[in-house]
Amino acid sequence: MASEKKLAGLTHWRWSEVLGPVVVVGVLSYGTALISPGMRFMITGALATLVMVLALQVFVGNSGVLSFGHGTFALLGAFTTGLLTMPSRIKENVLSDLAGPLQSAHAGMPVGMLAGVLIAAVAALVIGLFLMRLHGLAAGIATFAVLMVGDNIFFNSRWIGPGPQVMPQVPRFPFLEVPLVLALLAIVVAYAAGVSRSGRLLRASREDYLAAQALGKSIWRLRVGFFALSGAMAGLAGAMYAHHAAAISARDFYLGFTFLTLAMLIIGGAGSVWGAVVGCMVVTALGQLLLSLEQGLQIGSLVFTIPDGVRAITIAAALVVVLLWRPTGITGSREFALPSLRRRPLGTEKNAVHNT
Amino acid sequence: MMQLIVDALSNGGLYGLAALGVGLVFGVMRLVNFAHGELIAGAAYLLVTSLSFGLVPALIISIVGAMLLALLLELGVFSRLRGADPSVLLIASFGVSVLLQRIYETIFGALPLSGQAAAWMSGVWQVGNTQISRGSLVTVVLTLTLLVAMKLTIERTTLGLQLRAASADFQTAQLLGVRSNRVIGAAFALSGLLAAVVGFIVFTQRGQVDPLFGVNITILALVGTVIGGLGSLQGAAVGGMVVGATISVLSNALGNDRTYTYSVLFVLVIVVLLVKPAGLFGQGTIKERV
Repeated sequence: MASEKKLAGLTHWRWSEVLGPVVVVGVLSYGTALISPGMRFMITGALATLVMVLALQVFVGNSGVLSFGHGTFALLGAFTTGLLTMPSRIKENVLSDLAGPLQSAHAGMPVGMLAGVLIAAVAALVIGLFLMRLHGLAAGIATFAVLMVGDNIFFNSRWIGPGPQVMPQVPRFPFLEVPLVLALLAIVVAYAAGVSRSGRLLRASREDYLAAQALGKSIWRLRVGFFALSGAMAGLAGAMYAHHAAAISARDFYLGFTFLTLAMLIIGGAGSVWGAVVGCMVVTALGQLLLSLEQGLQIGSLVFTIPDGVRAITIAAALVVVLLWRPTGITGSREFALPSLRRRPLGTEKNAVHNT
Repeated sequence: MMQLIVDALSNGGLYGLAALGVGLVFGVMRLVNFAHGELIAGAAYLLVTSLSFGLVPALIISIVGAMLLALLLELGVFSRLRGADPSVLLIASFGVSVLLQRIYETIFGALPLSGQAAAWMSGVWQVGNTQISRGSLVTVVLTLTLLVAMKLTIERTTLGLQLRAASADFQTAQLLGVRSNRVIGAAFALSGLLAAVVGFIVFTQRGQVDPLFGVNITILALVGTVIGGLGSLQGAAVGGMVVGATISVLSNALGNDRTYTYSVLFVLVIVVLLVKPAGLFGQGTIKERV
């Protein structure tokens, strides 16, 4: 079996596997950012998205439970750091209905982001304590309910945020290095979580819940822990997005955001950190390419343009096509062998086939 | 009070129909079909653009169109994903849903298209000293008729038998000679039919259609399917009705705080799932892999 070496990778910390995505992301980000200020801006946004996809990978990839609720944790991270770091004068004028303590609180960017991460982590922990008792689709729909509740509250309440309005004037990252270092850190954390003892047990439970339970560990506790960790990372992603976009609103973290980040994860491959990185890069690059085509791409003396709206259709269509071709194209008719799961621990593939 | 009861019934019936459409497809292929909302929106678009031919032809066009669109989705996308992981199916249907929304946006524009489908449905009937909107009452009658018709189809016909067999245990049904692709196709076509009816009712209520027309009702229908009990067709319909009726009652009970109806509703959904993970009416026969 050619993939045997790769399979072993997930059980041991291998520097080559950590450094691979770190180097690729670092070099690509720097290289692209050098092209133009516009590209540099695009890269800070892409790095925030990457952290979000990594956050999803830590939970969805390892536990096998889909989560639609991470948008809420990103929203918490973004709103927390946004409220803390935006200029007080503007906050008083624009968000006048804010609760007293929120109105007066102010902090710098590092404290703001840290607070965002912590609040997202606590929220994920508390929600996880309840939701992680569920399995399969019930769990998926329950996390969906979390997204709906979060959106409903934050979209309507002007007491804890901008309500349906935009939160303006959040300070931007001063250097590209700040989001870059945070994203690289997220890669290392996601990898470390995956190869840890808990991560391996959680992946075992993804394949066979009962067998993993028989090893004597509470799978519920593992899932709660990973849900909280991944919620914290989603909070970081949201905070990074806030300091990238400078103006944020509750709907930035709703269905479209959830769909895009989950699709990136599934396209790249939910089972590995590298999959999350590749999915994010490919979808982002495709979006950028189509955007530049829409604006008119000049090659030699020819200018290529595509009509408006084609970009949006193409991205959605590309996601569907990739989902169509990859599972059937690579795995044939085998049931659970997603391309992304080639790095599964040895022997699980056989079990998966027997289960069907 | 009378109006509230009728509203709760009509809302319940409406979401019941939508949930049954979702539940039919889920039953035969474990697909949580987010794109059901775009079937509803597509039917409404067909309705509004063909209203000039008269209401009945427009209705026929929209029903046939929605059924064809559902079959197209099955043939073009989901038939190629047989045996894929449920999470891949779910994300694929999410993708199809976004794709169709973008296509509607490109064809019809992002702004709503308005039209009047059945003007008399916006009137009221005087019953004693209470007024009851005709739309609600017609919705109740229409949905109850359809639910009964669906129930008869599912329980009394060969196709229904095959659908139930495939819902209960797809592979065993296949081994016993149920033609799987035909059953799945039929499930999609029926879900298209139900989507068209839901699209018509919602359109008469709102008077306009936009690319996101079907999103909300589909989310609530999905929730209804899940809390009703996955894999049980009756459970799906009843779950949808419970969700719809709960929305009516909640938005009435919350008064000025009605913007938070969804928060209360979805917290209730989480509670129901925690207390009865197999759904309110599920027999717990379906064990998910994770």
